[in-house]
This record gives sequence, structure tokens and C-alpha cells, in this order.
Amino acid sequence: MSPALEARGLRAAYGATRALDGFDAAIGKGELVALLGENGSGKSTFLKVAARIVSPDGGQLLLDGVPLDSIGRRESARHVAYLPQNLDLVFPIRCLDLVLQGRAPHARGFSADSEGDRERALEAMRACDVVGLADRDASALSGGERRRVLLARAVAQDAGIWLLDEPTAGLDPRHRLEFLELLARTHASRGTTVVLVTHEIDLAGDIADRVVLIRRGRALASGPPSETLTPERLRGTFDVESRIETDGQGRRRVVPYAPAR
Amino acid sequence: MRRTATVAGAFVLLAVAATIALVVGGVHLSLRELLAGDESARLVASLRAPRVLLAALVGACLALAGAALQALLKNPLADPFLLGTSGGAAVGAALAALAGFSPFVSPAAAFAGAVGSSLAVAALARRGGRLDLQRLLLAGLIANAFFSAVLLAVFSVASGQTARTMLFWMMGSLADATPGRVLALAPYAAAALVVLVAYAPRLNLFAVGEENAAALGVDVESSKRVVFLAASLATGAAVAFAGIIGFVGLLVPHAARSVAGNDQRTLLPVSAIGGAALLVAADAVSRSAFAPAELPVGAVTAAIGAPVFAWLLLRSS
Repeated sequence: MSPALEARGLRAAYGATRALDGFDAAIGKGELVALLGENGSGKSTFLKVAARIVSPDGGQLLLDGVPLDSIGRRESARHVAYLPQNLDLVFPIRCLDLVLQGRAPHARGFSADSEGDRERALEAMRACDVVGLADRDASALSGGERRRVLLARAVAQDAGIWLLDEPTAGLDPRHRLEFLELLARTHASRGTTVVLVTHEIDLAGDIADRVVLIRRGRALASGPPSETLTPERLRGTFDVESRIETDGQGRRRVVPYAPAR
Repeated sequence: MRRTATVAGAFVLLAVAATIALVVGGVHLSLRELLAGDESARLVASLRAPRVLLAALVGACLALAGAALQALLKNPLADPFLLGTSGGAAVGAALAALAGFSPFVSPAAAFAGAVGSSLAVAALARRGGRLDLQRLLLAGLIANAFFSAVLLAVFSVASGQTARTMLFWMMGSLADATPGRVLALAPYAAAALVVLVAYAPRLNLFAVGEENAAALGVDVESSKRVVFLAASLATGAAVAFAGIIGFVGLLVPHAARSVAGNDQRTLLPVSAIGGAALLVAADAVSRSAFAPAELPVGAVTAAIGAPVFAWLLLRSS
């Protein structure tokens, strides 16, 4: 069985700035994979290449074994949902309409608001506990609500692969935990493949099946958290000294304590 | 249902504006005279009709272009003038007039200027093969600075009658309306409307963000080209037939958005009809306020537009 998403020597750049420089990774179907790396390491760029926001300039990205550039943009948007870190809305838009946009890749001429589309959108909003926000203006949402509405959109999009860019950034502890619970629940019940970019090492350790460490646009290591989140690997990834501890519930905690010399 | 009602409402507004525009002017008619089929009233109205129609088409073009650009660029301040399209059209026509071409050449020259300006602005905004939206706005700013310098230079070397015509044209005027000009503008307006309304669902995705549109399967580069070109076509045609008329492209989409919401499938047609109504009304004012003297219609739209725009701005914050 081919991986849901596979990068082979993937390269991408913003002007003269190289973001991905021969990135290799294979993400299996139904896996939850965390992508860890310092700022500018290329992890968000990988998500954007997979979401067709950024065009690669070398290497290959395979979706279900098929090269992404041989698939139509709309076709790949039916399989891949992207959850941006921020929305930065300028114009008003109801949450329901925002979720309905998830149906756009399925609709003729991107014009998604048939009765069936509305039903799908509302169902997705119920699954993500945001149906009460349907008529609210999306620009007035809190960070936690916005993340859940975007997740509802990914559900409505019916995509098998979800790409999440720092989904917990800026959330308070309660909303962070609520969102992670929701993500775990929807991921499990739908069997979706999830790739999430995060700066939280312990979050990756807690929820990911596998961790991919990335630096300067290349993958350093890939494997289960216990094998990747080690002091040596983390020194190579982040230039930090860290130690591994075990908390009261027996979970591994990574404690970075000094910049590496 | 709500969409149909909103569009119908906009049409009623346009009908009211057009009726008023037919009866007011240097010679005031009464509605009763007009409806009774009074011979001289009909004659005056038939002389005014091309002008009302031209105003409607020009207003529709400008408002449509403004609304589409605002959604595309995710910027409520985007406008054909801001992006330098109108300035380019004006320079094209001004140079043609200076070179001594007959006035019939000026629409072609204006249209060439609009497209040339669009291409130049797009080239300035291009970065790494992509049309960068932030750079686009800056490039428009640069283009406008350049175009106003050229316009002033042309104006200062133009002589007598040419300078006078040019000045009036630079300020925007519908005085040259003829049935032929109305028929010449109509296909441009129709083409822009058809293309942009077909792109309305994509523009809804752009209104949330360019990356949003890309992630949902839109070919953003080709969509940007199509929308940009259609908006340039509408703007160039409007400037070619009526000179520079400001505020319509900025103001009407704002007003339409506050009534119709930001769904482009409703907003684009409502903006087009609303732009038509606004310019028809503004032209009626320009003809009647100081009759028999005429105000440039661009001055009227600015005088109506600026305060209303200020009010919209205050209300939104």
C-alpha cells in the first residue's frame, strides 16, 4: 500500500530563500504525524506544497502514490484539507459559509451551496461542536473557536488528509486541550491521515504516531516519538540541550534546559 | 430568494434614478408630460436617453471592476483607480489627443493605455513568477504617480481648445453620449459582467485569502489573470467613453456589501446595478445643479462619494 503522502527529494523556495532542500518523508494512511523543527526549517512550507499553495521547484510529492503535479488542483483539494494557523479576515463571513467553502472543490464552478452541501456543512459543524456558531461572523471568533470551525471545514471537505499548521499556537490551556480532544476524536472516527506542524515537543510525543524532524529543508529523522525525541536528535534539530523526564502519569517529558554550545 | 430580492431592489433604485435623470436638466420636464406622450417632452427625453444609458454602463463597469478587485486582493480599498488602470487609460487618450488624432481615436488609445498599464503594473508586482497581491497595490501607486505627471505635462503643452476638451475629459464627463457610443460600450460591459460573475465563487474563496483559494483547488495564478484582465477591460472601456470618474469603484461595492453581504455572486451584480444608478443620478445632478452650465460628473461623484465613504468608514469601526 502506498503512503498517503510521500515526499522524495522535495525542493521549494521563496524567491532566493530555500525552504525545502531535498525533503524526504513518507506518511502512512491513517497516521498522525508531527513535523518538528526550528523556525524557518521548512515544515510549514511542506504543508503548503502539499496543499498546492506553494509550487515545488524540484523533487516529487506523491499523493496516494500519484505525483501531485499530475493531479488537477481541484481533485487534490478533495483529498487534502489545509488548516492555516490564522485566517486574517478582512470581509465579514458567516461561520457556516466558511465551512461551506470546504465543499467548493466538490462543486461545479466552486459554487457550493446546494441543499446537500449545507447538510454536509452543518453535520461537520455538529461533529466539531460549532453548530451554534453557524450564523456568527467568523472574524469575531476566539482562537479556539476558529480552530474548531476550520476543523469542521476540513471534515466538510471530506478530505482524507488533514494538514494542520500549529493548531495549538496561542490557545489557552483549556482551549488547547479541548481542541486536541476534538482532533483525536475526529481523526479516530474518520480514520484520516493527519500531518501537524508544531513547536510543542511534548504535544508531538503525546499524540503523534510518528515524528519527523526537519532542519534546513531536509528530514533529519523519522520514527516513533521514543526514538526521535531524544537529546541527541533534538540537539541536531533545535541546537538545544535537553533531558528526558517521566511525569506522574508515566509520560515522557522533554525538558530543554540550555542552548547547545 | 434573498439574492433575487436584493438584485430586484437594486434595479428599482436604478429605474428611479433613470426616470429622474430623464426629466431633469437644462429644460425640466414633468413626469406627467413625459407619460402623457407630450411631443416636445419626448424629444427632450430621447435626446437625454443615450446619456442616461451611457452613464448607467460606465457606472456599472466601474463598480463591477472595483468589487471584483476588492475580493481578489482581499482589500476593501482596492479600486481601478488605485491600481493605475484608469490613469493608464487617461494617459493613452491624452497622448492621442496631443498627437492630433481625431476624438474617435481616443477610446482605442484609452483602452490601449488601460491594458498597457495593467500589464506594467502586473509586471512590477510579479515576483518569482507569481503575482504578489501586496506588491500589486504598491505598483498601482507608482503607476499613478507616473501617470499624473504625464497627464499634467501633456495638459500644460496642449493648446486652447484641445486643453479645454482634455481638462473636461480628465475630470470625467458624459456630455459626448450618443447612441453609437452606448452601443460601442455595451459589449465590453457585458463581457466583463459575464466573466466576473462566472468567477464569483472563486472570488468568494479569494475574499478569505489567496492561500485559502489555492488550498481549496483554485488555480490562483490563472484566476488572478482573468479577473485582473476583465476588470481592466471594464475600467478601460469606462474611461475611454467618459473620462476619469472616481469613487464609483470604491464606494458602490462598500454600500452594496452593507446591504447584500459579501457573497460575490450577489455582490457583483448588485454592485454593477448600483454603480449604474449612482452614476445616472450623479450625471443628473451635474446637468441640473448649475444649469445651463454643467459640472464635471467626476466632481459630483467625488462630492457625493467622499462624505458617504467617510460615513461608511466611521460606521465600520
